[in-house]
Amino acid sequence: MSRILNKPVDVAVIGGGPGGIGAAIRAKEDGAKNVVLLERSEELGGMLPQCIHNGFGLHYFKEELSGPAYIHNLLKKMERTGVDVMTHTMAVNLDGTRITALTENSVVDIDAKSVILAMGCRERARGAVRIPGHRPAGVYTAGTAQRLINVEGYLPGRRVVIVGSGDIGMIMARRLTLEGAEVLCLVELLPFIGGLIRNEVQCLRDFNIPVFTSHVVTNVIGKDRVEKIIIAEVDKQRQLIPGSEKEYDADTLLLSVGLIPENELSLLTGVELNPLTGGPFVDDLWQTNVPGLFAGGNVVHVHDLADYVTESSEMAAANAVKFISGSLRTDRKLTVKAGKNIRYVVPNTIISDQPISFYMRVSWPLENATVRIGNIFEKKYTFVRPSEQIRIDIPANKLKEVSDEIVVSCDGEEAIAR
Amino acid sequence: MQAVKARYDVIVIGGGVAGASVVRELSKYKLTAAIFEKEAEVCFGQTKGTHGIIHSGLPGISSLTPMKNRGELKGNLMMEQLCKDLDVPYEKIGKLLVAFDKEELEYLKKYEFKAKRNGVPGVELITDTQRIRQMEPNLSDKVIAALYTPNTGIVSPWGLVYGLIENAMDNGAELFVEAEVRAISVMENGDFLIETTNGRYQSSYIVNAAGLNADKIANMIGDYSFNMKGTRQQRIIMDKKVEGIVKHLVRGVKATGGLGDFVCPTVYGDVMVGCKVENVSEIGDTRTTREGLEDWVIPRYMRLVPSLSPAMGIRPFAGFIPKEGTDYYVKPSDVNGRFIHMVLGSSGITASPAMGEYVVQELLARAGLELEAKQDFNSYRKDIPHIHDLTDEGKAELVAKNPLYGHIVCRCETVSEGEMVEAIRRGARTRDGIKYRTRSGMGRCQGGFCGPRVLKILSRELGMPMEQITRKGGNSVEVPYKAKELLKKKARGGSW
Repeated sequence: MSRILNKPVDVAVIGGGPGGIGAAIRAKEDGAKNVVLLERSEELGGMLPQCIHNGFGLHYFKEELSGPAYIHNLLKKMERTGVDVMTHTMAVNLDGTRITALTENSVVDIDAKSVILAMGCRERARGAVRIPGHRPAGVYTAGTAQRLINVEGYLPGRRVVIVGSGDIGMIMARRLTLEGAEVLCLVELLPFIGGLIRNEVQCLRDFNIPVFTSHVVTNVIGKDRVEKIIIAEVDKQRQLIPGSEKEYDADTLLLSVGLIPENELSLLTGVELNPLTGGPFVDDLWQTNVPGLFAGGNVVHVHDLADYVTESSEMAAANAVKFISGSLRTDRKLTVKAGKNIRYVVPNTIISDQPISFYMRVSWPLENATVRIGNIFEKKYTFVRPSEQIRIDIPANKLKEVSDEIVVSCDGEEAIAR
Repeated sequence: MQAVKARYDVIVIGGGVAGASVVRELSKYKLTAAIFEKEAEVCFGQTKGTHGIIHSGLPGISSLTPMKNRGELKGNLMMEQLCKDLDVPYEKIGKLLVAFDKEELEYLKKYEFKAKRNGVPGVELITDTQRIRQMEPNLSDKVIAALYTPNTGIVSPWGLVYGLIENAMDNGAELFVEAEVRAISVMENGDFLIETTNGRYQSSYIVNAAGLNADKIANMIGDYSFNMKGTRQQRIIMDKKVEGIVKHLVRGVKATGGLGDFVCPTVYGDVMVGCKVENVSEIGDTRTTREGLEDWVIPRYMRLVPSLSPAMGIRPFAGFIPKEGTDYYVKPSDVNGRFIHMVLGSSGITASPAMGEYVVQELLARAGLELEAKQDFNSYRKDIPHIHDLTDEGKAELVAKNPLYGHIVCRCETVSEGEMVEAIRRGARTRDGIKYRTRSGMGRCQGGFCGPRVLKILSRELGMPMEQITRKGGNSVEVPYKAKELLKKKARGGSW
């Protein structure tokens, strides 16, 4: 007798973070009969339960919330919707829209009419950026440290160097300082900060934490536990500048060196990924190249705000429900390309005639910048930088006259010499 | 005077692959044997930093290294069956030693001649580039010839040590960890008295398999005949996403020292590239360096397999290969014939089963150890069941038996809590001990997600506070303070 259970559903959502919960609620609201939400951890919420700082929800809930409160609100919204929540459930295989998942009591084959990928992203680790030296205890990604402190109740160390100026790193600089630890400095390879300006101000400057841009960690010293961190300045070609070394008696190195959409599952069923985002190529309906497979939130591209993660996943869910009922309209096919100074743009194709939100990041900080969506729309900004995602909403009628390709570009004065 | 805690016929010093091979061999006989490891767990020394390649006896063949040659050739032939018996991941993958120009082709011809003379099985020089391309489609198209050795394999270095030691213990051998040998004296009856950080022990024979510390152990009996040296080897582990980019061990021929430039599959599906081989001022220094990785390893492996992007790297690391002289140093001490040195070196993993046999059946026997085979010796050992490796039916069955196997803690490598609890039952005391036994934390996120959860499991299972759980023993504490602890200390006016 096979112990493998079979579970046919309308919509299966993989990942129970702010995207996945939003998608599951929306799928139910839009009329999907059976909706299952798969979460591999013990609880829903993704990373937000450990994000005890504020700054969430301004856009989506119209009030400023902490991460746990944001999730609490979403879970409230999900109550009595009838979403079938499966925690401690890990999707181990994906074949089209058929999921094989491991639970605490069996293996389940979930036959879904449509699947929404909402696996989010993970942190880039030390090995990916090749920080040389010993490999002792005391080197953590910022998110791991955040979990240790905010959820588990333990401090990873008391004298800390942070490498990378991603948002979690800056938030952890503040968090550790408030916990009584000493943040010795923050080191960033690029000549500018990688996270949001508000975090730079509120988490670094307000606490007088020294910031060294154009610097790298050249050595981690300490066989058992971190004892010293050596940093040095790099020139524009990223070559070390001799004599620029600084040494810190640190016991901890935190890394905030980028987030990577988690698409290992997507790859198993042939989802095509955009090398610039690490996420699937999607159209304006959040469809991947695999029929019935939609994606939303950070699995597509890393967002600045959880609010947009929820929103895009909701849209993916709405379209997934239409897909099931056969009412998904594909009127045309426009290709969207990242042009001058644009690192990436989402979506990559436009197939409907609905209003569209373009999400993009510039490749370098610019002042007095103008972002152009082909020749149909332009918007001026006093300042743009890679860390601040740009979102531009285009009404449906604006795109009517475009026929096959649309190039998104940005012009402006370079705020920092390249 | 402190009492002797126990007496053994043989005490093996060092819980790496050399010591593990000897103690497993000893456990086949009616005698008492124990293995002493100074670290928190076995396989925490040089063995864990090796590449796990099972050499075929080529091209390291040199008239200056008779012991290594014999060990490699014989060990290679023993490895497959040994790994089957001990349920250790092993694969025979073959090796392509490749030449980019005529000069390098001459090297290949020289190696071919030597290999055939020395009886390395199946060696073949391939100059048909189309065939090379068929064998390795991602190999540089500038390669003009390859020397193929089918007998080259790959093994899990730590898997092998765990297999050997668990099997030895199953057959009566004993293991002591955090038992650093501090002094050795000779008693009136000729036995050794061994002072360790875990108490005092007595034995009739000692096998000195202490790796980089073998000279210090030898010094304790007044043997100053050698000084340990060695080389550091820097390598990078690549994401499983590139699994299959090479099928064989692919190695450049011109590289100097050790294994030189190579791209190699691992038994777990990652790809390993290397390596920067160098002498360093501090023996045992396993730091990686910016120059070693960026200026050496990356450009050199990319010469072999240009399409393998360095962005796929998940873990640069360095191993340290102990070395006494040119050849292995495996012989009775000139000071005391019951004290056997067993210092392996490069390709020590390959040679270990053969050298284990040699040390027991030849050296210890000649020194007077009586070897009477155990009738009830059990040569088999089963590994921890790994949920990742099972079919869906197998997974369902295991989870039905024990729900902890359905609780995935390490996402990247699909490792369950059940595997971790079993690893602890088998001796894991640290995060690295769990990692080497289960692969949790070895994947692309490198423990970012599972790390805190593994600490909690260790804390719960061992009944130890979180603040005492270490990465790898010693001072490698993972979370030294409770939240608010520093604030409380500051509020009390104390300094931390």
